[in-house]
Amino acid sequence: MTTSTSVEQTVLDVLSQILDTTADELRAQPALASHDWDSFSSLEALAQLESALGVRFDLRSFNAAVTVHDVIALTQ
Amino acid sequence: MELLDTLREAVRDGRAPDAATRAELARVTDPAVLRRAGKTLAGLGSEVPGLRPFRVAVLCTGTIGPYEPILRATLVAAGLLPSIEPGRYKMFEMSLGSAEFGDPDLLSCLLDESYFLPPQWSATDIDGLGEYVAQRLVSLRSTVDAATDRSPATILLHTLPLPGTIRDAVISWRDRARLSRIWHQLNVELLALVDQNPQVAVLDLVSVLGDKAVAARDDRLHRYGDLPFSDGALALIADQTRRFAQAKAGLSRKVLALDLDNTLWGGVIGEVGAQGVQLGGLYPGNCYRQLQETVATLRDQGVVLVLASKNDADLVDRTLAEHPEAALRPEAFSARMVNWQPKAANLAAAADTLGLAVGSFVFMDDSPFERGQVASELPEVAILSAEGDPAHHIRTLVEHGWFDVLELTDTDRKRPELYRTKALRADFSSSFGSPADYLRALDIELTPAEATEFTVARIAQLAGRTNQFNLTGVRYDEATTAAQSVSPDHLVASFSVRDRFGDEGVVGAVWVDCGPDVWAVTNLVLSCRVLGRDVEIALAAWIAARARAAGASTVEGRFVPSGRNGVAADFWTRAGFQPTENDEIFRLGADDTVPAPDWVSVSERSEVHS
Repeated sequence: MTTSTSVEQTVLDVLSQILDTTADELRAQPALASHDWDSFSSLEALAQLESALGVRFDLRSFNAAVTVHDVIALTQ
Repeated sequence: MELLDTLREAVRDGRAPDAATRAELARVTDPAVLRRAGKTLAGLGSEVPGLRPFRVAVLCTGTIGPYEPILRATLVAAGLLPSIEPGRYKMFEMSLGSAEFGDPDLLSCLLDESYFLPPQWSATDIDGLGEYVAQRLVSLRSTVDAATDRSPATILLHTLPLPGTIRDAVISWRDRARLSRIWHQLNVELLALVDQNPQVAVLDLVSVLGDKAVAARDDRLHRYGDLPFSDGALALIADQTRRFAQAKAGLSRKVLALDLDNTLWGGVIGEVGAQGVQLGGLYPGNCYRQLQETVATLRDQGVVLVLASKNDADLVDRTLAEHPEAALRPEAFSARMVNWQPKAANLAAAADTLGLAVGSFVFMDDSPFERGQVASELPEVAILSAEGDPAHHIRTLVEHGWFDVLELTDTDRKRPELYRTKALRADFSSSFGSPADYLRALDIELTPAEATEFTVARIAQLAGRTNQFNLTGVRYDEATTAAQSVSPDHLVASFSVRDRFGDEGVVGAVWVDCGPDVWAVTNLVLSCRVLGRDVEIALAAWIAARARAAGASTVEGRFVPSGRNGVAADFWTRAGFQPTENDEIFRLGADDTVPAPDWVSVSERSEVHS
């Protein structure tokens, strides 16, 4: 079973890889707009997170996410 | 993660991922992993030893989405170094018709239903909808024709699934059937384009999606970003595109080496005897019988078969010859390596006997030990597992498209027999005192012929598939070869060879720029199975004679090292050409002669262009 800690780590790993940053930087600055977050990278994140976590997002909710914490909350 | 790390290391070092890594990448089906791999591999330079450059342009009726990285990863896995040029958004028709995609090796087109359907349509007027779809097909056909008039690129199209959101909006069963018929007819007409335009190829996306049970579309991404295909569907399109590119670039395999026990029949013959093996009848014997039939089908299309079995040779021969359910008889195999030697050594020996590189081999075996040994000793061999339930073996053998060719030629059909006689020829040679005596006894006949519409496909195939005796690596495709064959400033010729053991068919080709004083050979290719008989020297003598008859005083030859064509490095000097200040260019002047071998007779065949 996937624990909340490992889910959080997976989200950080995926987002940091897509946004070309590190998990620590994302923790320090969780606002996605502070990074290269645009429609292309958000769709990339959607595909990678759905594949890695075996989840299916509602695109409206996913597009409404503005911080890393919002994205993690969507996976809970 | 390990695979992606290995790819990153290769990119960082500016080298091709090794064969084992590429094989692992080729097995990836998760599009998310392919996307990441493709993004990483975008960092490879424009020249990477071990990968063959391949230019792809992409046009899409919607957004191409992650197709580019997925396609890149898929092509690199096949040994290609792709440069991928996406077209402009919402400019599909204009970009295609004006050929603004340039001169790539392949134009990959992604179509969706929006191209063929009107913005508004009525479910009560299915006939009107059918007429509209037919008009759009005519429009696509003329746009494709305009594109191929302007560019020599091959255009790869695909069949289209009819989205359920459209089909199920029609509530009448009768009308829904008529709508489906219109859509099937559209796909039939798309597939028929391959017979109407030689620069068009079509992949059957509808059947591939059905076979793999992959959703064509992610409705969210379609509505949000005009992405017509799901990532899974894009991965399937990329894989089919890879099969075409691999065939076009000459990277398809020619030889299938097969184990016997628990691969071509069930059980170990040394333990259960010929009567005890599972072959034919009910499951699981039917799996092995049908696998043998599939292998025979591949052989009929030119795949050379090699038997690689640790067994008693007499028992194997007897069983293959006499078992009532065997679909592969002993003569089906061009080489039979049935002994107790390591399989890697046997495959290397078979390659040597056949005159083919081990990189042209696919090897299928149920034993992880044997597969591991071959993978370790001969990493360029493609390896297939025949482990586990034999019901899956046929799919394992054919689904990757290892042996795909763009078009089947007569030579393809004859190839297994040609290689079998080559092995017999090797036995015959041992009875002569000198190599020249042996060659004279072979009665070798070389037949040069200017290219015709009947031979252009085979000539282009030789350009695509010949890697070793390929002097410049320029792979003229069918369209360019056809154009040069009717141009007064060019000569394109094919070369056939026969000897006392049989007719080898068209085994070589040459492309020449014919200037008034200088004839420049832009490429010359020759199948390796005729090397060692100085046929290539007779061929050079024929080119020189043609040049002189046309009034040219000089013939210029070129050799560009590719890393794989070392066998041809000394060809021009052996043919009497002189080196020049340019390392790649050799020249035959008016006073030079080509030392044509006396054991090759030349009989020219001229055919009328139609």
